[in-house]
Amino acid sequence: MRRYPSAVKMTEEASQLAEIDSDQDVISRVSAGDRDAFAMLIGRYSDPLYRHALGMTGSPDVAEDILQTSFIKAYQHLNEVRGRFDAWLFRIVANGCKDWLKNIRRSHLSYDEDDQPSGYSSPDEDLDRTELRTDLDTALAKLAPSLREAFIMKHVEGRSYEEMADLLGTTVGALKMRVHRAREALQALLEEKYA
Amino acid sequence: MMLDRHEAQDGRNDIGHENRDVASDRSHADRPLADREVPLPGLGGESVGEVTVLQQWLDGDATEVDARRSDTKQVDLWNRISAETDRRRRMATPAHLSAQIMAALPALETRATTATETSAATQAEPARSAGLAPWMMIAVGAAFFALGIIVGKMFM
Repeated sequence: MRRYPSAVKMTEEASQLAEIDSDQDVISRVSAGDRDAFAMLIGRYSDPLYRHALGMTGSPDVAEDILQTSFIKAYQHLNEVRGRFDAWLFRIVANGCKDWLKNIRRSHLSYDEDDQPSGYSSPDEDLDRTELRTDLDTALAKLAPSLREAFIMKHVEGRSYEEMADLLGTTVGALKMRVHRAREALQALLEEKYA
Repeated sequence: MMLDRHEAQDGRNDIGHENRDVASDRSHADRPLADREVPLPGLGGESVGEVTVLQQWLDGDATEVDARRSDTKQVDLWNRISAETDRRRRMATPAHLSAQIMAALPALETRATTATETSAATQAEPARSAGLAPWMMIAVGAAFFALGIIVGKMFM
């Protein structure tokens, strides 16, 4: 398993930028009035956070909204960052996703498989989208948020259990159990058709 | 259909609220199957080993050969799922999003300036008052001077 120096993995380009300016340097610049420097933080962390939001919500539009709201919130509260910015930012996004899931249930929107949007499809992809892709989306939507979160972080974002524990503030053992249970549940939902 | 509900908690700083997961470290065996809404095939006592090997393989702790010895079909299923999750791992943020976020950022500098100006204006009030004080002091001084002359004349 690859290990990443940062809790929220960055793109290669962003990693090069990181060597130039640490997050703290960038935050200092933004706080001093260099608003454009904030784009550097967006560039560093938007990809993994977008994948997280997309995996959790299953909707590209919702994922974009959550990301935008989260970055704005982060910008407004930059002076409150204590410790690692990437972990702090991740928690804003993760909580945004959980709030969205809570609200969608509260507003009685159907979460059945027939209505669950396939977040990874675009009009162009519709034609060649595999059945498994759709079925995986459907199965993921049936998982409890905490199990889905653990599965997405492990399998889609490719994080180690240690990174996950660090970001979620829980233990490796608890996360292993969540991932295992998510796998078992997905397996149960998909094996009849695919295994 | 919900399968489980882990609520997590996190003591670190956060905007609005904390993480809401409470990690439960109960072992797999401790948790009754009745907790699960989806039946978990292979979790019966006789096949726990199979599930474990599969999970170990998925965690990178066992080889595919070991996992295949337990259940070839499940390994094939997970290879297909992994291909899909790998594809998703390469997904990037839509190109327009960064610019969209930057455009939506509130004008903190403006707000800061306004606050500074407000503060400066508040602080300027006493200064302005102090600016008027010399005139008043001159007037008072003149009045005292005149009073002194009058009093002096009265005693002379």
